[in-house]
Amino acid sequence: MADPKKAEAAASVKKTLVEEGTEFKGSIVSKCPVAVSGRVEGEVHAPSLTVATGGAVFGKMRVGQITSEGEIAGEVEAESVLLSGRVSNNTIIRTKTLEVKPVAEAAALRVTFGDCVLEVGEEPKKTPGTSPVQGTAPAAPKADGGGGQPKPPAPPAPKPPQG
Amino acid sequence: MLGADLTGANLEKADLEEANLEMAILAGAKLNRANLEGANLEGANLSGAHLMYAQIDEAKLGGADLSDADASYADLVECDLSGAKMSKINLTSSNVERANIEEADLTGAILADANLSGVVGRGAKLAGADLSKTDLSKADLTRADLTGADLRRASISGTRLAGAILTGAKVFGIEAGGGDVEGVIAEWVDNSADGDGSVRVTGDQIAAVLSGKAAAAAAVAAATASGGDDRIKRYFGKGDVLRNANLEFGQSAYVEIESRFEQCSIALGEGAELVVGQDGVLVDCQITGGGNITIHGQFFEGASPGIVGPKRLVVSSHGSVVGVVQQPDQSTHFAFEPGCKLRMRILHANNHR
Repeated sequence: MADPKKAEAAASVKKTLVEEGTEFKGSIVSKCPVAVSGRVEGEVHAPSLTVATGGAVFGKMRVGQITSEGEIAGEVEAESVLLSGRVSNNTIIRTKTLEVKPVAEAAALRVTFGDCVLEVGEEPKKTPGTSPVQGTAPAAPKADGGGGQPKPPAPPAPKPPQG
Repeated sequence: MLGADLTGANLEKADLEEANLEMAILAGAKLNRANLEGANLEGANLSGAHLMYAQIDEAKLGGADLSDADASYADLVECDLSGAKMSKINLTSSNVERANIEEADLTGAILADANLSGVVGRGAKLAGADLSKTDLSKADLTRADLTGADLRRASISGTRLAGAILTGAKVFGIEAGGGDVEGVIAEWVDNSADGDGSVRVTGDQIAAVLSGKAAAAAAVAAATASGGDDRIKRYFGKGDVLRNANLEFGQSAYVEIESRFEQCSIALGEGAELVVGQDGVLVDCQITGGGNITIHGQFFEGASPGIVGPKRLVVSSHGSVVGVVQQPDQSTHFAFEPGCKLRMRILHANNHR
């Protein structure tokens, strides 16, 4: 249950709104939370960004917290990310925490991911195992022809926002 | 014996049929296999009492304190337990058929495998209770509090649940069969086989899952039947190391890995369940096929993409994944819990190599 006092306080917080039917191209630098129900192409710098269902943000997002139920594409840097909706091709998300809630299997997808890269939390480190036994069968060949330690996946080449 | 103080008394196998033990103090008493059929124990203190295999049929226990008592395998048919304090009571495999537990406090009680068919439990407090495999058929649990209760594989055929609270209840494998789930109050229920909260069901689907009618519910159950008894289970225990192995599992497989896998490839049949436990580590490995993958441990890809065609991929708060995920045509159902660590590239569903 939502705390009514918190809800009231949240309702009174000033927000930068990009309403449905509005398209904005350029940079938004705001000290207020930004809420997008329309479409933004460019950069968003804000303490928080909320992309509503039907809303879309294409470009660079540098925010404290992002909650998206709409579409995002481009480069996202945030402290925390809560995702549903759609993540388009050529998107990279760098964040300390990412949450995508599970859904019942038969239900619609919570998030549709295009080609994208997720860099979440500290880089995972392999826990040491016992020494590999010499002379065992060779490792499966890598697609890039390399062997040994797997490299973190390369981020996709950033593309300009698509209309 | 009205109001008698029998604290800690040894009354095992005692014949106390129809005895008047109203308000008696039997805290910690040993009453295993005792005959208390028809006894009057109203307001009695039986906290921590040992009542295993006791015959308590038709006894009057209204307002009695049975908290922390062990009444496993006991018979309590048609007992009056209305308003009784029974928090953390152990009633495993007991027979409580047609008993009255109205407004009773069974918070945290263990009722696994018990027979509670036909009980009258209006307003009973069953939060956090273990009701797994419990027969609740034809029970009246109107307004009961079942918050966080474990109802996995319980039978609620013909059970009345109007106004009952089921938020966070574990409901995997629940047998509905015409239970009245109209009016159930729940923000979400847990439909994971392990009861670990990994498959949360919300909204309209709660009724579908509880009623067992909707195709969606069936699909959820099928997709998450990881602990199902009919599944072929494979377990790789902690401390084991497996290298350079090619493993194939069919669609009915449930595979749990707590071991270290190095340079292994795992092929999953459609709908197979793979759980990498918290101690599981997959290094330089590849997982292919339309299985449901849950990662609580670590996965580092070898051949790339490291994960190919999963139907579902869940990375829990302890999980780590380094690698490329190639989605199947129908796209993968992803779920990520806060705290997970990812260096993951996701390839679009139609971006086949």
